Amino acid sequence: MRPLALFAAGAIGLAALGAHAQAPAAQGNADAGKKKVFQCQGCHGVADWKTAFPEVYRVPKLGGQKPAYIVAALKAYKNGERDFPTMRAMTNNLSDQDMADIAAYYGAEQPKVAAKDDDRTGAKK
Amino acid sequence: MTKRLLIASLLLATAVPAFAASGDPERGERKSTACAACHGKNGISVSPEFPNLAGQYPDYLQTALTHYKNGKRKNPIMQAQVANLTPADILDLAAYFSHQKALQVKH
Repeated sequence: MRPLALFAAGAIGLAALGAHAQAPAAQGNADAGKKKVFQCQGCHGVADWKTAFPEVYRVPKLGGQKPAYIVAALKAYKNGERDFPTMRAMTNNLSDQDMADIAAYYGAEQPKVAAKDDDRTGAKK
Repeated sequence: MTKRLLIASLLLATAVPAFAASGDPERGERKSTACAACHGKNGISVSPEFPNLAGQYPDYLQTALTHYKNGKRKNPIMQAQVANLTPADILDLAAYFSHQKALQVKH
């Protein structure tokens, strides 16, 4: 009985350690991000700016985008999951903290949803 | 010969705009039910993980959806959602969400 209890305690301890080992998502700081977006601005800060290669379309607007989505996109470019040469190059030297800060800067002003239009959750008004 | 070339180039010039088809936001709205579950009916998403779509450029949205469809961009949820979309559906959806207002060009 006792060894079993010990084993259980150990297992719980290990699980907790494992959970802890997963680095928490970096907290973004919009002010810090403002100083890190100089490379982004050349394209994303220009209205109607278009890609030139390999396909031509306007680069996405980032103002008001969800910070967690921006971080996910930057990580996907960095690790090659999302394939676009310019963004791969831009993200190459970004740390997780840089990404969180940049995302916080662009996502600082989240669009407001008027309560009468907010049928997203199906909640009755 | 030159006359034939002239006619050919004229034909080409008039044909090109036909390819630059644009979507119809009202048709897009009717097709957007599945999108709204995550991205919000008004293009403002319900979760931090999902991007806002309201006011995004239509050509970017079209490219993203097309890339999900042809596998260039990989995401299990989106891959399933776009499987049955035609190029016309994609244009209509892009028109619908881009006509909303929220996202901005931020310098």
